[in-house]
Amino acid sequence: MKKESSHEPGRKYGMVIDLDKCTGCGSCMVACMAENNVSFKEDESNKLDSITWMRVYRLTNNKPFPETEIRYLPRPCMHCGGKGDLGHSPCVSVCPATATDYDHKTGIVSQIYTRCFGCRYCMAACPYHARYFNWWDPIWPADLKKSLSPNVSPRMRGVVEKCSFCFHRYQLAMERAYNEDRRELEEAEYQTACTQACPAGAIVFGDLNNPDHAVHTLKDHPNAFRLLERLGTNPKVYYISDREWVRRSGDNYLNNEKTNTKPAVQEHHS
Amino acid sequence: MDSAFIPKGVKRCSFGTFSLGMLVLTAIVFWGFYAAILCWLKGLNQTNMNDSYGFALWIWADLAVIAIGGGAFFTGLLRYVIGLDELKNIINFAVIVGFCCYCSAMLILAIDIGQPLRGWFIFWHANVHSMLTEVAFCLSLYLSVLAIEYIPILLENRKIDEVPFFHNLGHTMHGAMAVFAATGAFLSCFHQGSLGGVTGVLFGRPFGYREGIFVWPWTFFLYTWSAAACGPCFTMLTCKITEKISGKKLVKDNVYDLLGKISGWMIGTYMVAKIADTLYWAYVTSPSLGFAVMDYYNAHPLHHGIWILILEIVICGVLPAMILISRKGRANATLFTLATILAVIGVCLNRWVMVMTPMAMPVMTFDSWVSYFPSWQEVATTILPLAGGIMIVSLSFRYLPVFPQEQELNPVD
Amino acid sequence: MKIDRRSFLALGIGAAAGTAFTPLPWKLTDDLSIWTQNWPWTPVPEDGDAYYDHSVCTLCPGGCGILVRKINDRIVKIEGMPSHPVNRGGICALGISGPQLLYGPDRVIAPMKRSGARGEGKWTTLSWDDAIAEVLDRLKKLEADNKTEHLACICDTDRGTVPQLFKRMLSLFGSPNFMTTPSMYDSYEAVLKKMHGRKDTLDIGFDFENTDFILSFGSGVIEGWGSPVRMIMANSAWKTKKAKQIQIEQRLSNTAASSNGLFAVKPGTEADLALGLACVIMEEELYDKAFTGAYSTGFPEFRNMVTKNYNPDVVAEKTGIERHLIIELARHFASAGTSSLAICGRGKGQTAGSMMEFMAVHSLNALVGKINTPGGVWSVEHPDYIPWAKEMNVRAAIAGKKRIDEAGSPVYPDSLSLLNRLPSKILESKESPIEMLFVSNANPAYTLAGTDKVIEALGKIPFIVSFSSYMDETADQADLILPNHIYLERYQDVPVRGGLARPVIGLTRPVVEPQYDTMHSGDVVLKLAKGLGGQVGEGFPWDDYKDCLEKTMADRWKELEETGFWTDEAYQPKPWAGAFGGTYGKFAFSDTILPLPDLEGDVKDYPLILIPKESMRISSSHIGDTPFTVKTVPDTELKGKTLVIEINPRTGKEQGLADGKDAVLKTPLGQVRVKVSFFEGIMPGLMAMPKGLGHTAYGKYLKGKGASYNALVGPMEDPVSGQDISWGIRARISRV
Ligand SMILES: Nc1nc2c(c(=O)[nH]1)N[C@H]1C(S)=C(S)[C@@H](COP(=O)(O)OP(=O)(O)OC[C@H]3O[C@@H](n4cnc5c(=O)[nH]c(N)nc54)[C@H](O)[C@@H]3O)O[C@H]1N2
Ligand SMILES: Nc1nc2c(c(=O)[nH]1)N[C@H]1C(S)=C(S)[C@@H](COP(=O)(O)OP(=O)(O)OC[C@H]3O[C@@H](n4cnc5c(=O)[nH]c(N)nc54)[C@H](O)[C@@H]3O)O[C@H]1N2
Ligand code: SF4
Ligand code: SF4
Ligand code: SF4
Ligand code: SF4
Ligand code: SF4
Ligand SMILES: [Mo]
Repeated sequence: MKKESSHEPGRKYGMVIDLDKCTGCGSCMVACMAENNVSFKEDESNKLDSITWMRVYRLTNNKPFPETEIRYLPRPCMHCGGKGDLGHSPCVSVCPATATDYDHKTGIVSQIYTRCFGCRYCMAACPYHARYFNWWDPIWPADLKKSLSPNVSPRMRGVVEKCSFCFHRYQLAMERAYNEDRRELEEAEYQTACTQACPAGAIVFGDLNNPDHAVHTLKDHPNAFRLLERLGTNPKVYYISDREWVRRSGDNYLNNEKTNTKPAVQEHHS
Repeated sequence: MDSAFIPKGVKRCSFGTFSLGMLVLTAIVFWGFYAAILCWLKGLNQTNMNDSYGFALWIWADLAVIAIGGGAFFTGLLRYVIGLDELKNIINFAVIVGFCCYCSAMLILAIDIGQPLRGWFIFWHANVHSMLTEVAFCLSLYLSVLAIEYIPILLENRKIDEVPFFHNLGHTMHGAMAVFAATGAFLSCFHQGSLGGVTGVLFGRPFGYREGIFVWPWTFFLYTWSAAACGPCFTMLTCKITEKISGKKLVKDNVYDLLGKISGWMIGTYMVAKIADTLYWAYVTSPSLGFAVMDYYNAHPLHHGIWILILEIVICGVLPAMILISRKGRANATLFTLATILAVIGVCLNRWVMVMTPMAMPVMTFDSWVSYFPSWQEVATTILPLAGGIMIVSLSFRYLPVFPQEQELNPVD
Repeated sequence: MKIDRRSFLALGIGAAAGTAFTPLPWKLTDDLSIWTQNWPWTPVPEDGDAYYDHSVCTLCPGGCGILVRKINDRIVKIEGMPSHPVNRGGICALGISGPQLLYGPDRVIAPMKRSGARGEGKWTTLSWDDAIAEVLDRLKKLEADNKTEHLACICDTDRGTVPQLFKRMLSLFGSPNFMTTPSMYDSYEAVLKKMHGRKDTLDIGFDFENTDFILSFGSGVIEGWGSPVRMIMANSAWKTKKAKQIQIEQRLSNTAASSNGLFAVKPGTEADLALGLACVIMEEELYDKAFTGAYSTGFPEFRNMVTKNYNPDVVAEKTGIERHLIIELARHFASAGTSSLAICGRGKGQTAGSMMEFMAVHSLNALVGKINTPGGVWSVEHPDYIPWAKEMNVRAAIAGKKRIDEAGSPVYPDSLSLLNRLPSKILESKESPIEMLFVSNANPAYTLAGTDKVIEALGKIPFIVSFSSYMDETADQADLILPNHIYLERYQDVPVRGGLARPVIGLTRPVVEPQYDTMHSGDVVLKLAKGLGGQVGEGFPWDDYKDCLEKTMADRWKELEETGFWTDEAYQPKPWAGAFGGTYGKFAFSDTILPLPDLEGDVKDYPLILIPKESMRISSSHIGDTPFTVKTVPDTELKGKTLVIEINPRTGKEQGLADGKDAVLKTPLGQVRVKVSFFEGIMPGLMAMPKGLGHTAYGKYLKGKGASYNALVGPMEDPVSGQDISWGIRARISRV
């Protein structure tokens, strides 16, 4: 793991997803597959071996009809900062071959497919099931190879893959910015494919550290919460819902405990 | 037929009987290799693992064989470093069993990873923060040490020993064995510990996660301790099985008694630590993460019920410790054997639970428990090293002077 | 030199050590590293400069603008067009996976002629010239036999130049039998005809962006109803401005889940609730007197009928909704913020609805004066841009010829097309009254209710020509397939009929060269017309389809080419004075209530009701799903190849079922093996089945997955419009 930069706070890309707006339509899932050359196979109904960097879960309050409620929860990789937000994400800290890394410049957790040797320790470490193993050789039949994007390399059998916050889009944006002699990105210059596609506008993406970005304010919404806050994974994906049962679904609570509304933001300043 | 190779002064079964046994084992080994080749050529879709169950039978088998292979390092430590001389009568066997266990672990790992040809990246691009890196380094180094410890035993084969070079080499190596044993003990301590660390550091998996000191979770120490405690039990158990099969006494009772007593105290102290750890985990760590201890055991009473904890701690922990600590318990051959069996089951069960439950258990509230049953390929490749191990032990027993007391206990008329 | 053991050993060790100092092991290791990272069978996408081209998606009636990302001549991504008035950058899952349709394995890659039995899937390719010659031969024979009306054509819609070219060819040839795939728009059009009294065709529009209260009678607002992306965006806007949406439905659809309240009426009593609400509004004098007074006719009669038959007590009894809730809802609807509106058309609106329900709901809007007002329901004039569609001489060619489906006849005067009546008409006659059928952009063998009967009827038609780009169920039954370019390879105007509050015409553009040996259906029609010659040939004075399109679009062409769409930004609906036609130029309330047909099936044999469950993740129209969209289907809808049925746990247990276990589902039309998913979000006594699965055509990513809803339900004819208004069927389920 690289040493943290000590002079600047750095960018910290993240998302705020409004669960009350999410319709469960699946655009984000497919946008991600199309953007990132995610493979597919004949049967994808076994969700335990189906590669979906973005997966939309259905949450329910389990009350009897007609008091039943549901919400959809889109789950990309949380790009966990780990305890103290030091970059020791659950997965990064365990990968024996440094095939997944925490980028302190962006807060993005990378995945290096050609270095991963498929031990799956990172998957055991990730409580969000954000990581997917290539159990099969990816196959694009007929002319479907033509639809592959050169910006993201297709993965081979036997390696792990996951949401990258569309890192190639960041790189392309930075490249453009540098060509124009700029060092900073506007909010709109770097947006992920899922954010861009979402017809409900439920996903907001940006630099959590940048006051000019919408996520900076949204993350402090009184109804904002993160998944499994108590584990200290320090995710960069926040959710908002006006339903208490939804917020409570975000974490594990003992029966007598109250739902925690305010994320215990673990910041680290060095 | 092969009598020229059989150590002097001991009696072995007929070559025919031996060959028949080896044939059966070879068949099993081939079956296992067939499965392994399927996994290598077609990929891990040959298994029943999935994205939730990325660690499964194989990782358990790895942790388990290494735990029970712990008899080698611990007996070595007692014999060469602490200087308990009686143990020289079982140390050869302990080393061979340990060697088999570690070979098994290596082989299983080579099948388990998705890109076996990139396995060396773990050394090349090592991430020092990863417990698995520590495992890989210690495992390979300790396997080398075991190989070095095994070589002098090999060289004692009647025919090989006839070559002066090998005779001298064996002699020299024997002399240096204390150094290797010490190195091995040190490596193995870390190795066993880092395996404990593998699940213990997973702070995203409340069932496996343990607090600890520095970078080491408590499981780091518990694994080392439990391997030291239960490993010798496996050595003694396999030794007793060898006695049973060969139909003769190979090690004197005082050796068993000594190793059993030490094991008993080790298991006893381990149990104190394990129970303390369990209580702290159940009443402090877990609740702070939002889990009541019964959340782990309620969902699937059959696979993940509280019975498994009771079985591990009381029946396969406290009970064998009590038997082995008490003089009467050790004196009763049946009880003694039962205690070693329970201890071995206990440590394997511990590794099982630490691998399976964290995978099966949902952490996100809207996720569900996952069940898993290994495919035949997984079973075959797990049995493969077992059969291989039996072959190595049998060959060693037949052709090498493994047990110094055998002649004395079984005079050939 | 004598090689003894010792020197051999030394040599070996020496060699090993020596080799270690050569580059060999490092080179091998490096090679191994490279090889394991680059397996030759893992594709390496060709790089190139990325650029975007604009077009319009035609995969559903939504009409979204798209930006197509290209690398060299390959399409690598489809994104929403931010400047497009319909979708403003948003896009749905199906729209994104367009490249998989373009390059996918299910395309028909050349003209094909059937060489085995119908549906057997045996084909031989032939040249376009031969294929067109064969169709011409058969057309000429019909002409010679004076049986021109025995030619029929099914299109997805009658809007736009391509369907109109088909229609024109049929008319000039002498056949009135141009039919379109049914949808809720058929019902809305009939309502506008009946209640607005206008002879010209109007589009129904909803000013969702400016409304504060939406009362939805089972419409899947965020599940594909109307223009799907626009609706999801509107839904989000409602959340932001805290507008209220109330859903009337029997299960917790995504729309219901996202709404501010679910009114779970007994199935089939939606119209009763609408009239009950009307009753309260009238009794409490909450209605818009200005509207009912000066701009409507028939109001007193309507009021009499409703107050007599639909008072809250009666409606509470019928619908199962408590009286006070009905009254509160009515008050809320009548007095919400600046505007409220009521909508209907179930699910995605892919089926027509009963005239009773549609008229009752439209009457509600009228009562509160929300017709053609901001935030209300609009009748939108569409931009009559195809002058040649109205030429009188074209109509004259079919004067006196009867439509087989009786649409527009005195029995069903307000319906333009009744495709649902075609199968029974064919099956009733000894010889099929249709001898030749064209199918373009439609898949009746899958999308019409009662699949078995539809296929049996198709089987009686001597010659079927499919214009499908994909190997779908209808293409499977065809004799000849003349594959169209897909939308990414062709020009086509796309007038949007998605309930938009203003007219929008999109332009589909060929963003890539045709990938296979396909031909634009517009060009095929032109070739056929010219081949027929005479009156037909003369009716098509264009060089090719593009020429026709450019000339038709006239002044709008340049704007369309450049921006991808044309719209009237400032469109406002006609004010009340002048909005309505008929004898009095007023809105016409109606007091005629024709009873609805009963749900098919006997209650004793079939104690439960099966309803469809629609979702944005499954396409249930003539477009089949892609590998990507199938991947998004949850395992509570499809498991392996087995369909999963949603059922309330209470009902499930009563039927002896267990969650996740297999069962047999049976309706009067057929039975299928399913898995059961217990879900609290469905009314006890009902079962919901995902719609859009169970294809018997297409390739391995879609074929044979799950079961088809349409195969298990039959059509249910509306007594007024003649349209199929089936919304479910009686069913039973048992453990296996
Ligand atoms: N998600 C994500 N996307 C990224 C980046 C990122 O960090 N994350 N980084 C961006 C940057 S900086 C770069 S340079 C690109 C790199 O993008 P790629 O060029 O796709 O690089 P890799 O991911 O290293 O994968 C290289 C692939 O190219 C093929 N390949 C490599 N060498 C050879 C060869 O000698 N012969 C043939 N025939 N094939 C070969 C192999 O199939 C291999 O899978 O990715 C960009 N996109
Ligand atoms: N493990 C592993 N390591 C890899 C790779 C891999 O596949 N696996 N891929 C390799 C490849 S292909 C690449 S490209 C690298 C990417 O690795 P890096 O070069 O670290 O790439 P970035 O993370 O994009 O960081 C580039 C930084 O340089 C700065 N920068 C960019 N342009 C300019 C400029 O014009 N002038 C100045 N002064 N600064 C600039 C920006 O601030 C940005 O933070 O990683 C390489 N390292
Ligand atoms: S695209 Fe948006 S609305 Fe649709 S499922 Fe994803 S987050 Fe939800
Ligand atoms: S969500 Fe999982 S994969 Fe992503 S950073 Fe966190 S632990 Fe790693
Ligand atoms: S599977 Fe790959 S990324 Fe994950 S821990 Fe192992 S080597 Fe690292
Ligand atoms: S951020 Fe990019 S990689 Fe991650 S889920 Fe969204 S589209 Fe996929
Ligand atoms: S909503 Fe319809 S028109 Fe819009 S992108 Fe999706 S399929 Fe295409
Ligand atoms: Mo790069």
